[in-house]
Amino acid sequence: MNKYTVINPHEPFRVINTHVRNIDGIAKVTGRAVYTFDVKLPGMLYGKILRSPHPHAKILKIDYSKALEIPGVMGVVTGKEDTLGVKQGIWRRYKDLCDEQILPVDKVRYIGEPVVAVAAITEEIAEKALDYIDVEYEVLPAVFEPMDAIKKDAPEIHEGFERNINVTRHIEWGDVEEAFEEADYIREDWFKCGGQAHMCMETRCAVSSYTPDGKLTIYHSNQSPYYMQALMAGVLGMREGDIRIISTYVGGGFGGKFELDGAIFCSAVLSIKLKRPVKIVYTREEDFIATKRRTPMYYYTRTGVKKDGTFCAREAKVFTNGGAYTGMGATALYLTGFFHSFPYKWKAYRYDGYRVYTNTLPSTSMRGFGAPQAMWCSEQQIEWIAADLGLDPIEMRRKNAHEEGTIIPGQATIASCGIQQCFDEIKKWIDSKGQLPPNRAIGISACGFMSGGIFNWFDTPYSFSSAVVTVNQDGTVELNVGAQEIGQGSNTTLAIICAETLGVKVEDVKVHSGDTDFNPADLGAWGSRQTLMAGNAVKMAAEDAKRQILEFAYAQSGLNIVYDLDIKDRWVHAIARPERGEDFVKVVRRAIRGKDGQRIVGRGYYTPHRKGMISPAYSYMLQAVEIEVDEETGKIRLCDSLTAHDCGQPINHLGLIGQLEGAFSMAAGYGYLEYMPFEDGKLMNPNLVDYKVIRATEMPPANIAEVDTYEPEGPYGAKEAGEGLTNPTAAAIGNALFRLFGIQIKECPIRAEMILKALKEKREKEQQGK
Amino acid sequence: MIHDFTYLKPGSLKEALAMYAEHDDCKVICGGQSLLIVMRQGMISPEYVLDIKHIKELDYIKFDPKDGLRIGATTTHREIEKSDVIKKNYPVLVEMERKLASVQVRNWGTIGGNLAHADSAGDPAPVLIALDAEITVGNKDGQRTMPLEDFFVDYFETVLQKGEIVLEVHVPAPAARSAAAYQKFNLLESDMGIVASAASVTLDENGACKDVRIVLGNAGPTPRRVKRAEELLKGKTYDEALFAEAGKIASEDCEPVSDIHASEEHRRHVLGVLTKRMLKKAWEQARG
Repeated sequence: MNKYTVINPHEPFRVINTHVRNIDGIAKVTGRAVYTFDVKLPGMLYGKILRSPHPHAKILKIDYSKALEIPGVMGVVTGKEDTLGVKQGIWRRYKDLCDEQILPVDKVRYIGEPVVAVAAITEEIAEKALDYIDVEYEVLPAVFEPMDAIKKDAPEIHEGFERNINVTRHIEWGDVEEAFEEADYIREDWFKCGGQAHMCMETRCAVSSYTPDGKLTIYHSNQSPYYMQALMAGVLGMREGDIRIISTYVGGGFGGKFELDGAIFCSAVLSIKLKRPVKIVYTREEDFIATKRRTPMYYYTRTGVKKDGTFCAREAKVFTNGGAYTGMGATALYLTGFFHSFPYKWKAYRYDGYRVYTNTLPSTSMRGFGAPQAMWCSEQQIEWIAADLGLDPIEMRRKNAHEEGTIIPGQATIASCGIQQCFDEIKKWIDSKGQLPPNRAIGISACGFMSGGIFNWFDTPYSFSSAVVTVNQDGTVELNVGAQEIGQGSNTTLAIICAETLGVKVEDVKVHSGDTDFNPADLGAWGSRQTLMAGNAVKMAAEDAKRQILEFAYAQSGLNIVYDLDIKDRWVHAIARPERGEDFVKVVRRAIRGKDGQRIVGRGYYTPHRKGMISPAYSYMLQAVEIEVDEETGKIRLCDSLTAHDCGQPINHLGLIGQLEGAFSMAAGYGYLEYMPFEDGKLMNPNLVDYKVIRATEMPPANIAEVDTYEPEGPYGAKEAGEGLTNPTAAAIGNALFRLFGIQIKECPIRAEMILKALKEKREKEQQGK
Repeated sequence: MIHDFTYLKPGSLKEALAMYAEHDDCKVICGGQSLLIVMRQGMISPEYVLDIKHIKELDYIKFDPKDGLRIGATTTHREIEKSDVIKKNYPVLVEMERKLASVQVRNWGTIGGNLAHADSAGDPAPVLIALDAEITVGNKDGQRTMPLEDFFVDYFETVLQKGEIVLEVHVPAPAARSAAAYQKFNLLESDMGIVASAASVTLDENGACKDVRIVLGNAGPTPRRVKRAEELLKGKTYDEALFAEAGKIASEDCEPVSDIHASEEHRRHVLGVLTKRMLKKAWEQARG
C-alpha cells in the first residue's frame, strides 16, 4: 500500500479534502455508464476508414465502384467529392496552422492517414468493402526525422513551409551573453526524447446522427465537447448551435482527445450524406498509427553556473518531430521551452524551438505537454553539473528554486510555491533509506506545472469556464458544467467545491457534464485547467445561489445587520451563533416561493486576466525514485518512489492519489518502457503485445508527501495536480543510473542496451586511464 | 477485426477428433489466448474454430513417483501454477507459470494450446524440454508420442498433422540430486521473454554432473538445446568459470533475430548471462 502523508494541512473543511468516493464510481463499476463505444442508435450504420499505406504520396485516383456493389455497403466519402479539402486545426486564430484535411484531396503525408471512409450495415461488411476500393498513388520521397527534414534538399511536406519548419517559438529574458560571462562553469549537452502513445482505454470513437432538419448529434469520446462542437461547425459549415456533442463518459484522454479525429469527422460526413446514424470505432492499431503522439524532441541545452552552484544563464534549442500536421504541437513547442527553465530562477534565459514537419504520425499534446521532455534534459544536466562542481545536488537545486513572489520576466509571477518543503521531505526519505544494496540507487528530479493555459489561440468568445448551479425545492442541487470528466475525477472535484460553497453534502449535488445542449461552454479537460478554472466558475455559481438563499434567510431572521449568515451541512445559521439556525431545505422552499416559484439559479464563470503568458498558477514537486539495475543485462526495475508534491489545497485527496499514481505509471513508462520505433515511417509496435505499458500488478510503489500551500488564484487555494507528475520521472531514473554507475544516458526511453553500451564505454575509458 | 467463423463445440474427445478430421480450414481453440490475437490481427481467418477447452478428459494433472507427471492438454496454466504436487516435485514449473502473462491469461490459457501455438518465446516449452518431457498427440485413428524437443519445426510450426491435436505432456519423475531453473529476460515481469534460458542439472553421488540439459527460448525458430555446452559440463564438478564458459557457448550456438525489442547482439549476450545463472542456480539446488 502506498503511503500518503500530508505536510502542514489546512483547517478542516466540511467537504473539501474529506473521504469522498468518485461520484461516477457506481455507474462505472456496475457497467451502467454508457460510453460512446456502447452507443447504438436505430438504423445505425458502421463506418471504416481506408488508410494510406505510404508515408508521402499523391492521390491520383480513387475507384470505389466495386465497394458500392457489395450488398450492405451504403455509401462512401472521399476528400475530393465530399469534404472538398476543408482544412482544420485547433489553432483557429492562425490559419496557416490549420493544415489538416482529415480526408485529404490530393496528397497523403503519413502512414495511416485517412483516405476514404465507407459505411455499411455491419462492421464486417464495412471492413470488407475497404478491400474493394482502389486508390492509385504516386509515391513521393519521404522524410522521417526533423534533422533530415530541415535540410535544404529535403522533400517538401506542406507547400510554402521552408525547410519544413512548421512553427518556431522564442522565449527570452535577461541579458544571456552577460549572464554566461558571470558563470564559472558552463556545460552543454544534446539530448533525444522519444514519443509516447496516449494509450486511452477507450479508443477513438464516434456515433454521428444527422437528421433532415439540419441538426447533427454526435456521441464522441473526447476531452472537450465545446471544442468538438466548434471545430465540427467550422469544417461542416454549420452553426455551433445546430451541433450537439454528447460525451457523458470518456475512457481516458491524456491530451490526445481534444482535436478532431478521423472517427468524429468521417462518421459525421457519412451521416450527413446518408441521413443515417454512423458509428466509427478505432481499433487499437488505428489508435496507435492514426491519431497523434507525444512530441519527440532533439534538445540542446547550455547552462552556466557559479562555483557555489548559483544558476546564471541557460540557453536551449529544440527541434521537434512534428509529424505530418500541427495539432497541438505548437503549444507543446512553447511549453517545453518555458518549463525547461523550471523550477529555477535564471538571471537570463533563451529558448528557440523549431517544430519540423516529417512524414510520420503527427505529434501533439500529451500529459505533461512538453515538460517531460524539458525535465528529462534539464534535471539530468543539473545533476551532472552538481557532480562536476562537487556540490550536493539537492542543495544546489534548493538554492536556485522558485519561491513565493518569484517573477519570471515577461512570463509569470509565482504566487504560491511549496518546493522548499518538498526538498526537506525528499531529503528525509533518502536519509531514512540508509545504505542501499550495491545494485540500487535513488535519483531525484524537480519540476513544476501549470494550472490551465491563459492563451486563446482557439479564439473563443466565451469565458474559459462556466457553471450553473440550480437548487431544487427539496435541497438537491443540479450542477451544470462544460468541464469534461474523462476519468480524472473532475465531476467529483467540482461537486465537492459546489457542496462546500453552498453548504450542502456532496450527495446532494448531481453533476451534468459532457453535453453541449445542456451545459455552458468550457474549454474542457486539458492543460490541468479544470480544478482551477472550472473550480472557480463552480465556486462563483454556488456563491451566487447561496447569496440568493441567504437574502431570504436574512429577511426572515430579523438579525442585527452586523451578523453574518452561513450554510454548513444543510444548516442555515448565524456564524456567531451556529446553534441558531434553520434547516436548509425549509429555507430553500420558502426562497423559491419568494421567487414566484422559480428554482434558484446561480451562475459562475472564469477567464484568467493579467496572469502573465502561461498560466494563473503553478504546482511544484520533487520526486525521488529508487531503481535496481541488473548490470549484466541492463534491465531496470523501479523499487520505490516518493513524490513531495505541492498542489495548493487538495480538494479531493482520493482523486489526487489516483491521479498521482496514474501519472507516475505514465512517467515511468516514458522513462524506460514505452518506445515507439518507426521504420520508413511505419510504427513497428502498434499493439499491446509489443508496446510496453506498466500493468496494474507491476505498478511500482508511488508514495506521496503532500505539501499543502495556498494558491490565491485557485478555488479554496487549489492548483494543478495529476499532469505535472508526468514530468520528473524519466530524469529521476536517469539520475539514479548516474548515481549508480556514473553513466550519462542522453536518450529516453532508456533501453537496456543503452545502459550496457554506456557501461562498456565507461570500462574502456577506465582501462585507457590505467 | 475477427472475421466470421463457424464455431464447433464437440461433446467429447472422440467427437472432437472426428470433427477435426472432417473440417478443412479449421483451427483448434483451447483457451484462445494466442489464437485470438492472431485472428484479431487478421493473420489467420479460419472458416471453422473447434473448441476443445471444455473437454474434461484432457483436463488433469497426475503424478506418480515412478511414472512422473502427466498433464492433460486442456489443463490451464493456473491449474499448473496452483498444483501442490507440481510445486513439490517440479517447482521450476510453478515459478515459470507465475510469470507467464497475467492471472487472467493463465486462468484461461492451456498448456496444450500454448505448446501447439509454438511461439518461440513461449515459456513452458524450454522448461519442459529441460525436464526431458514428452508430448503425446493424436487424431481419430491413433496417437503418437515423441520428445517435446522434436515437436517443434519452425516459427509457429509443429509436427502436428491434419486432424491431430495435443493430448498430453509427460515429464519423467525427477531424478535424485536434480533441479531445474528458468529465467526470461523482459522489461515487465509478466511479458513474453525477449530471450529465455532453462537448465536442468542432475548430479552423481560425488557431486559431479551426471546429466545436464540447457534449453534456450526465443533464440531461434524453436526452443533449442545447447548440446555443446551440455557436453562441456558432463562429468565436471561445480565451477563458476565453467558456467560462464557454458553461457558463452549458449550465446554462440543460437540464432536469435534483431527486432525492436532487442538487437541480435544483445539477445546473444543476455542468453549467455541467463544460461550461466540458470546453471549455477540449478546446480546449487541439485546439490541441496
